[in-house]
Amino acid sequence: MSKITDMTATKNWSGQTLVTADHMLFEAPRTKHFMTGSEVLKEAVKRCTVDASVSYPITPQSEAAHLIGELWAEGYVGMYFRGENEFGVMAEVAGCAMAGSRTITTTSGPGTLRAMENFPQWSGTRIPCQLILMARGINSPLTIQPDNLEVTFMLETGCMIWYAENVQELFDMSIAAFIVAEKPDVHVPIVTVVDGFFVSHTRESVMLPEDDIALFPYEPYKSPLPPIDSETPPGRFLRDPFVMKSNYISYATHASWQWEVRSAVERSRPYAEHFLGGLLHETGDLDAEIAFITCGTASHQAKEGQRELAKLGIKSKVIKLRTIRPFPTKELVKSLEGIKHAWVPEFNVVGWLEKEVKTALYGKSDTNIIGGPRVAGGMSLPAEAIIQEVMEVLNPGKGA
Amino acid sequence: MANQGPAYYSPYPTATYEGVITPPEGKALLLEEVVEEEKAMREVARVMLTSENATIFPGPQVLYAYNEEASKKATLIKEMAEVLNAKMIPMYDYRPKYPKIDAEVEINPNHPNLTIWHNKIKAAIFIGVHCHYANVALKIVRAETDCYTIAICGLSGHEDAMATLRDQHSSELAKFIKIAREVKSELKL
Amino acid sequence: MAIDIYKINPEFRDIMPQEIIDLEENATWAQNQKKPRGIKELPDTKELLEEHSLCAGCPEAAALRYVLAALPKPEETIIVNSTGCTSLMFPHIALHTVHSLFGNQNAVASGIKRSLAWRFPDKVKDVVVLAGDGATVDIGLDYTLQSFFRQEKITTICFDNEVYANTGGQESGMTPKGQVFKMAPEGKKFEKVKMWELATTSGCHYSINMTASAPKAVAKAVREAILIARDIGPTYLNIYTPCILEIGLSANEGLGEMKDQDKDRFASYKYVSDEAAAHLIKCKEEGLL
Repeated sequence: MSKITDMTATKNWSGQTLVTADHMLFEAPRTKHFMTGSEVLKEAVKRCTVDASVSYPITPQSEAAHLIGELWAEGYVGMYFRGENEFGVMAEVAGCAMAGSRTITTTSGPGTLRAMENFPQWSGTRIPCQLILMARGINSPLTIQPDNLEVTFMLETGCMIWYAENVQELFDMSIAAFIVAEKPDVHVPIVTVVDGFFVSHTRESVMLPEDDIALFPYEPYKSPLPPIDSETPPGRFLRDPFVMKSNYISYATHASWQWEVRSAVERSRPYAEHFLGGLLHETGDLDAEIAFITCGTASHQAKEGQRELAKLGIKSKVIKLRTIRPFPTKELVKSLEGIKHAWVPEFNVVGWLEKEVKTALYGKSDTNIIGGPRVAGGMSLPAEAIIQEVMEVLNPGKGA
Repeated sequence: MANQGPAYYSPYPTATYEGVITPPEGKALLLEEVVEEEKAMREVARVMLTSENATIFPGPQVLYAYNEEASKKATLIKEMAEVLNAKMIPMYDYRPKYPKIDAEVEINPNHPNLTIWHNKIKAAIFIGVHCHYANVALKIVRAETDCYTIAICGLSGHEDAMATLRDQHSSELAKFIKIAREVKSELKL
Repeated sequence: MAIDIYKINPEFRDIMPQEIIDLEENATWAQNQKKPRGIKELPDTKELLEEHSLCAGCPEAAALRYVLAALPKPEETIIVNSTGCTSLMFPHIALHTVHSLFGNQNAVASGIKRSLAWRFPDKVKDVVVLAGDGATVDIGLDYTLQSFFRQEKITTICFDNEVYANTGGQESGMTPKGQVFKMAPEGKKFEKVKMWELATTSGCHYSINMTASAPKAVAKAVREAILIARDIGPTYLNIYTPCILEIGLSANEGLGEMKDQDKDRFASYKYVSDEAAAHLIKCKEEGLL
C-alpha cells in the first residue's frame, strides 16, 4: 500500500510529479482518449493526490466508485472503503475531511436524499470535500433513469454546485473543484453534477494530460477551522459547538455562521471564473434575440436545437450555466441583453432551473423567460421538442 | 467593508451580499476599496493610533507556541501593541462559554460585541483567529457595534472587516510595525 | 508536537486566563507522566473538563470526569460526540472533539480514525466515541454496529441513562420494560436492548456493562478499552449514568441509584477476546496499565 510518508516536495506517494492546477488544466500537453464519464472520473481522481474516498453502491454511480477503489488498490488514493449506506458514507467523508484529508465520494438520486442531513453539516463545518452527483430520478415510483430533480434538494445546503455537460467537462471540473473548494476563503464542499447515464455511461472523446502528474496535496492547516488532529490550537476545540447554550446573543452566532457559509460560496466566484473560463458559456449566434438557458446535457440538446433553428433562418444562442451555486446572476443578466425570449429546457418535472433563473433575474432583465420544454423519468430531450416550443411562441398556431 | 456599523440587530447584509469579497493576492481591502497593501497598513495604523481604546485580539494561532512562526508572531504582536498604544485581549478558544464570558479580559467569537461594548473599543485588530471564527465574529461586531475592525490574516483576508490585510506572515508584521512607527511619528504621538 | 498546542507564548502569558495557564502547567498530559493517568490525580491537577451546564448532581458529568482522567494519552485523543445531554459538556473539554449530527458518531469517528492513521502513520492517535443511548442504540445503531463489523479501531462509550433526557424524557431502546416515560404512556412494551451483547457478537474485542458508581472501575475499563482499540479492534463500554431528573431523584441520589443497579440491570458484564486479553497482559508489562 502507498504511504503518505513516501511523498516528497516534488512527488506524491504514488510517484507522480506534483503540479499546480494551472499547469494541470491549462499547460500540460494532452492526448485524445475515448471514455465514459465514470472512466474519466477515475482519470481525474488519479491526478488529484486524493487522500480518501468512501463509497456505497447505487445505479448509475457504482462504476465510478468501483474505479476509485481500483485507484486505491493501485496506490493512487490513500484510503478507500465501502460504507454502510449513503448517510453513513457522507458522515465518514465528513470525518475524513475534518481530520485533514482530501476526500471524494459519489452518489445518485435516492442516495443523495438518504444522505441529505449531512450536506448542510458538511458546509457548516467548512470541509472542502467533493461529491460527484450522477443525477438520476428519485422515488416514487422507482426509476434508475436520468433525471436531475435531486439537484433541487441540494440548492440550499450551503455547498457549491457545478454542473458538467459532458465527459470532458467532468474531467476538468472535478480537478478544478478540489482546488477551488480548498481555497482558505472558500473552503466549503463542492458538488459536481453530471446527468447520470448520459454522461456517466456515454463514451466520448476526451483530451487528457499524462497521468504522471498530479495536484499538490491538500493543506489542512490552511483550513478556516482547525483540523481535527490534535495538532492545531486551540486544544479545547469542538467542531462544532451548540451555539444556543450560552446566552441570547448566540442566536447571532448561528445566523452569522450561516451567512458566512453562503459568503464562502460567493468568494468562490473569481476562482471558478479562472478555472472554468467563466461561470457560464455562450454558443450559437451571439447577436440572436432568442436564447436557451441550460445546464448539463440539456445544453447539448439545446445546441442541437440551435443548429436546427439556424437552418430555418432563426438565430438563437445557448447560455450554459457552469455553476449553480454560486449562481451566475451578473453574467446571465449581461448575456441576456438584447434577448426577447429565453427558454429553460430541463430534465425534471419541477423546473428548478427555471425558478432559479427567474428569481435571479427578477427586476434585472426584460427577457421573457419561458420554462421548458421539460422531460423526466429517463426520457430524452429531442431537439424537435425544443424547436416546437420556440415556434409556438415565434409563430403561434402554425407549429414548426 | 462597505459600511461601518451599527447596522441591524442581525448580522446581515454581510459584505459578500453587497458584492465585496476578499482582496486579490498582493492587495488589501479598505472598506469596499481594493488598495495597495502599504496604503492599507498606513490607514490601519492611523485608525488604531487615533481611536479610543484601540485593542488587539490575538487568537489561538498566535497565542500558543505550537510552531516557530507562532512564536515569531507573538513577539511581533507584543511589539505592535506597544507601537500602537493598544491593549491586548485574547480570543484563546472558540467555545460558547458557560455561563458567560468575562468581557473585561477576554473575547469570544460567539459574542464578541460584549467585549467591545464593555471596554468601549473603537478600533480592533483580529490576528491569529481561524478564518471561519474571525468571519463569524466580524459579522456580529459590524452589526452590533461601531468598532472599526481590522483583520490581519495569514491567508486570504476578511471582507467583513473594515480593513483587511492578507498573507500576513512574520515578515509582513515587521513591515507593518515599521510603517506604524512612521505614522505614529507623523501624528506626533 | 500535539502537546505544544497547549503551550502559551510567553508574550501573552499575562493576558491569558488561569484555566488556560493551568492546562499547560498542571494537567496530566501523558507525555509528562511517568505512570498511567488515572482518577487519583483528579483532586490535585487541572481537569480536562472546565465547566458544564448539566443538572446539579448529574452522574453523567461525574462519569465524563472519570473518562477524561483515564484517557491513556489525552493530548493525542479525539472524542466524537452526538446530540444529547453529553453534547452540553463537549465545548468545555480541553481536547479536539466533534459534534456532527444525531446518530452518525461512529461513522464520523471511522473517517477520522482512518484519516489520522493515513496522515500520521508513525503516531498514536486515539479516537473515542462518547454518546448517549438514544444516539448509540436507537438512531445510530446501524453506524455503531457497522463500525464494529468493519473492525474500526475506535472505542465506543455509551452513557446509558435509559431515556431521551435532553429532549424531555422520552422512552429509548435502553429504557427498561414497563417504565412509563413520554412516548411510552402505558409503559415500555419491550425489553431493554442488551447492547453490550450485541457489541460482543458484532466484533468488539472488549465489551462491558457497568454503572459509574465506582470511579476506579470506570477508569480501568476506559483505559483498557482504548489500549485494545488502539492496536486490536473496536471496543464498547455501556455505562449507566441515570437521569435523576426523569426518574424523580434528588441531586444527591444518583450514586445510590447506580449502586442499586450494580446488582440489577447493570450487573457486571465483561467480554474480552483472547487477542485482547493477550494484549492487555502485554500492556501491563509495558507499564501502560
